[in-house]
Amino acid sequence: MTQTPDPEEAQAAIEYCYAQGWSDGLPLVPASQPLIDKFLATTSKDPDEVIGELEQVGRNCTVYLAAINAAMAGCLPEYFPVVLAAFDALMRERAARGGGWQSTSGPAPMIVVNGPVRHELGFNTAGGAFGPGFRPNATVARAIGLIVRNAFGIRPHVLEQATQGLPGRWAICLAENEEESPWPPFAIDGGQPAGVSAVSATLLRTCEFVDNRHTPDPEQVLWDVADTISRTGSLIFRDTSAGVVFCPEHAQMLAKAGYTKADVQAWLIEHCGRTGADLRRAGKNGLRGIARFADADTSADDTFTRILPSPRHVPIVVAGARNAAISMVVRIFGEWSGTATKVTK
Amino acid sequence: MPYPILDPTGTTATVPRTPRAPRAPRRRDLRGATVGLLVNTKQNAAPFLDEVGRLLVQQHGAAGTMARTKVNFAAPAPDDLVKEMTTGCEVIITGIGDCGSCSASAVADGIAFEAAGLPAAAICSDAFRVTADAMAELRGVPGYRYATTPHPVAVLTPDQVKQRAAQVLDDVMNLLTEPE
Repeated sequence: MTQTPDPEEAQAAIEYCYAQGWSDGLPLVPASQPLIDKFLATTSKDPDEVIGELEQVGRNCTVYLAAINAAMAGCLPEYFPVVLAAFDALMRERAARGGGWQSTSGPAPMIVVNGPVRHELGFNTAGGAFGPGFRPNATVARAIGLIVRNAFGIRPHVLEQATQGLPGRWAICLAENEEESPWPPFAIDGGQPAGVSAVSATLLRTCEFVDNRHTPDPEQVLWDVADTISRTGSLIFRDTSAGVVFCPEHAQMLAKAGYTKADVQAWLIEHCGRTGADLRRAGKNGLRGIARFADADTSADDTFTRILPSPRHVPIVVAGARNAAISMVVRIFGEWSGTATKVTK
Repeated sequence: MPYPILDPTGTTATVPRTPRAPRAPRRRDLRGATVGLLVNTKQNAAPFLDEVGRLLVQQHGAAGTMARTKVNFAAPAPDDLVKEMTTGCEVIITGIGDCGSCSASAVADGIAFEAAGLPAAAICSDAFRVTADAMAELRGVPGYRYATTPHPVAVLTPDQVKQRAAQVLDDVMNLLTEPE
């Protein structure tokens, strides 16, 4: 019989972590100093360096605390530079520095990994991009959730007030399928040079699939995507932001027809929107400041209102398997910072 | 047991226990007082606070109101805004705490004005009591009292907003004038 670690010791340690209120609901890996030392050895950053601050609750996160939370999330030590880059990218978002974590919207980070680090660490870059099933993807995203819960102290039902939250709140870490993408990697859109390992991040309100596998016409695919982006339920302000995570098949079909990423963005900016009558029917035709509200005025019923103000509001990523023409609209909370963070050792 | 399990919160080691924040001395009444209205931009916050201010002038002899808007509802009011209102007003009303972050920060603002010497009344939707209480505890004032109005606020008509303002008026007066 092979010798295994003592399960009762392990169970006791897991229950100890639950009892402290540290868990997101799933078991945590109990962190010890020797394990954390291995995490800290992967970065040149000082363990006491503050890497994020939430002023309104008087809390911050140091490299040391991030390492403990990453270890507890189930990360291997060598994932830690990716966790640090993801957290840095996320804290560039205005919403993440402000009230986003406390919001009734309950937004989910979406983390996008580019470059050689994807394969070096064994990230899933193919089918099932939104998870689950792969340790680097699953635990890097979870580490961010534990940092918010433990280092920032934003806990559900207390300082976190999500009305319903959303599926996969601490689980979305995509590694872009660069090998099957016809376009440059996403990190280049975030200002990084080609070939470097880099992480981008934003906050999502939800993901909505666009299943369109029976048309050879790329414009029909774009119309289908535009319809999903333009649904009234997600329109709460004058401007909106929605990314598209294209599957390789849709991306390749568009590229073959001559569309660059910028062309796709321009097409969507032009065609996403609703008429005044549509907006009025949903009680969203008026504007008070930047917020939509119900206005009885019918004079603009025939006017088509565009909702995407700039290409940065329509980030485009390519992920998933090449086995079906299914893409995902990712509804962005606030707006993407437009920057990617290099993974540094 | 060679190694302890490490704490991922950092609270035991780094954050000192916040001392209890001071509460401003209370006025006997609001006669002649300028009422500061700190509006947080949430839907209906401005007409709600305006109406509370109007009723305090009409029924309780306040001299007038000074309304200011806090652009970032999620964060505490910036120092220069607190300073301006502390100079120009005798009491403060903040609100409406009607979301996850802004309820907490409406209470944080009330506590900041108390520390600056002004009696303050924060108004929150009753759906956000827990998060408002949690912020009060973070700011060193566990059990901090604030006024509540039933949720929701954003969908109220102008007339309903006025009714709500009238309903919360006694609580606001008590918060501003009652010694602890």
